[in-house]
Amino acid sequence: MAVHDMSASTAQTTFPVSALARRGGLKAGERRIGWLFLLPAVAAFVLVIAVPFLRALGYAFTRYDLQTPEPVFIGLGNFRALAASPEVLGSFVTTLLYVVLATGFTVILGLAWAIVLNQTFRGRAALRAMSLLPWVLPSTVCAFVWGWIFNSRFGLLNAVLLDLGLIPFPTAWLSTTSGAMSAIVVTKVWLSIPLYMSFFLAGLQGLDREQIDAARVDGAGNLAILRDHVLPHLRPVLLVVVVLGVIGNLQQFDTIFALTGGGPVRATTVLSIEVYRRAFDQWDVGMAAAIGLLWVATILPAAYLYLRHLLKGV
Amino acid sequence: MAKISRRTFGALGLGAATAALSGRGAFAQSGGASFMSFTFAEEPNKPFIDKLIADFKASSGIAVEPIGTAWGDAQKNIVLRQRSKTLPDTAQLQDRWVPAMATLPEIVDLTPVLGAATLGAIDPGASSLGKVDGKQVAIPLISGSVGFVANKEVLAKAGVEKLPVTLDEFRAALVAVRDKVPNSVPYTMATKNPGAVPLDALLIFWAHNARMIDESGKVLVNSPEGRAAMAFMAGLMKDRLIAPEFDRPDSRRLFGQGGSAFYVDAPQARTFARNFSGRGEAMDVNVIPMKTPILKAGDTPKSVEWGHTVAMFKNANAIGPDTPASKWMKYLLSDAVQTTLPLALGGLPVTTAGRNAPVVANDAYLKAWGATVVQAMKHEVGVWSNGPELSSILTEEIQACILGQKTADAATASMQTRMEASMAKRG
Repeated sequence: MAVHDMSASTAQTTFPVSALARRGGLKAGERRIGWLFLLPAVAAFVLVIAVPFLRALGYAFTRYDLQTPEPVFIGLGNFRALAASPEVLGSFVTTLLYVVLATGFTVILGLAWAIVLNQTFRGRAALRAMSLLPWVLPSTVCAFVWGWIFNSRFGLLNAVLLDLGLIPFPTAWLSTTSGAMSAIVVTKVWLSIPLYMSFFLAGLQGLDREQIDAARVDGAGNLAILRDHVLPHLRPVLLVVVVLGVIGNLQQFDTIFALTGGGPVRATTVLSIEVYRRAFDQWDVGMAAAIGLLWVATILPAAYLYLRHLLKGV
Repeated sequence: MAKISRRTFGALGLGAATAALSGRGAFAQSGGASFMSFTFAEEPNKPFIDKLIADFKASSGIAVEPIGTAWGDAQKNIVLRQRSKTLPDTAQLQDRWVPAMATLPEIVDLTPVLGAATLGAIDPGASSLGKVDGKQVAIPLISGSVGFVANKEVLAKAGVEKLPVTLDEFRAALVAVRDKVPNSVPYTMATKNPGAVPLDALLIFWAHNARMIDESGKVLVNSPEGRAAMAFMAGLMKDRLIAPEFDRPDSRRLFGQGGSAFYVDAPQARTFARNFSGRGEAMDVNVIPMKTPILKAGDTPKSVEWGHTVAMFKNANAIGPDTPASKWMKYLLSDAVQTTLPLALGGLPVTTAGRNAPVVANDAYLKAWGATVVQAMKHEVGVWSNGPELSSILTEEIQACILGQKTADAATASMQTRMEASMAKRG
């Protein structure tokens, strides 16, 4: 048998081959084509993400502001200054508060709205379509709409409250610490509910109706069904939604900047606003890069969880 | 369909890339100059810049490419262009940005480029708007001062017949407006943006005989006078005589629409009032320049030196006395421009000849504005190269004070500490 195989192999090597055949055969050709297709994406990644990120990483260890037009290496100087800065530490707390509130409320309201839209009723399709409206609108447009609602002089909220006699004169909602934070959270929640709702609604499609009916026959109430059937069924979706929400809210910039600009004082200065102010208001690129580096570090755990779930499904 | 070989495809790609790269700077190489301008981006003022460029082309044959940028983004755009090596040939700068922009290595010393004769035509006072450490890094375009403006119509509604002279009279006028003009903000003080807040704050500090930073760079905010100024602002907010969330454009709009009796601006106030009132020149009678209120009789009312300047930057184009950019800058100082553009924009000419021209000397509004300028002082925050950081600190602490998050004393002390740290870092 071995002899036969060897002779067959010898016969194969002596088989006449076309002059156009490439070295390495078809597989190698496929690999080369694969690399060719990959090349634009790799080039874009390197140019748009890797190079700027590595440069920013380098700037974090330099003094690079208007007084020093060329970066000067200062080691951990920026990080020492950050550790001693109550303003920057305050930005971390503000970011944490914003992420927890925005993600938490969006998950709760998105899930509730998905459950409502999962019921059978007249006009459900139209309501589902209309629910996507905030998601379709550009985020800055949404921010300006909400900015107008909260405006201290011409705002809708003040007009309604004044009409109802609940406040004696217009209130500057965006000028109080809690009011400004509430405004940016409400705006982000309103913007994000459609996306979260879509995830949950897709997850609910796979829920076994008969299982729910059986639970009801056994006397389970709405809360018990939610706790024992719906939430366990949605666990994988919930994990993805929460992780994506945390990452998205950690990166949030446009709605906050358009609504409050990080103020009043520093009440809504999350890390993205802090980096922007340092880099483009104060021209302290070194310090902005250092804050940016710490900001990336806060996003990494959430990104790791998401990628692990995506790749391994756990 | 004809087949394209790999070599042909590569050659086409290379050709396209070369064409794209060579397109950059093609405008300047064709004999023109670029001009970044925030006035060009202001809708009411855009026609004046359009005309300026058209007239220059008619007289010299040189095309100028205007690049509009919002006032608040102008510095950002210049620094970003500097980092990406795409600086314009010339750019309009607010006078208080000049020290910060002068740190850019690409800014051009204008004395050898424009020559002593051209620069000698500028009024010495106006000339200082574009000087840093004795070097002329920008030419002034229009000049003036920043001070208080009163709306005569609103004051009449409130029963205020005489412009306030002291801070007590000013406060009393504000109370009258609040009580008698519904939905008004008596004094639309800038309370939101670090680009605008320092001007109002400076005037109020000076009115209390306080200083922020002296000529040597020493921070002086935390003085009894400084704390009194902060307490004054906090009191205005507490009594609803000023309002939060106001930026300069908001103030101009509300003033023009009759919702505000006082605000702080340059002589351009008249142009903005004409536009925002929708009444054009008929609104002029209501725009009254006024001296900054003083603490007590005998004090000197102070205003802030103000002006627009134009700087030149090194880029791929040549620098010299006869380049399109140099000719453009010389044209900006010509009598033809200086007797028209400053008036249109509501400012004073910057050349001696322009200031002496009858059309300028006989302008009643500018004459009245000039009478309010008893002592014009340098912007004590903006003159430093770390001015943007100082402005942010000032704005944050004033907001904390007027919104009740800190007492006047605590906010002033914190402002002092943070400003000192910024000045120390500046070196």
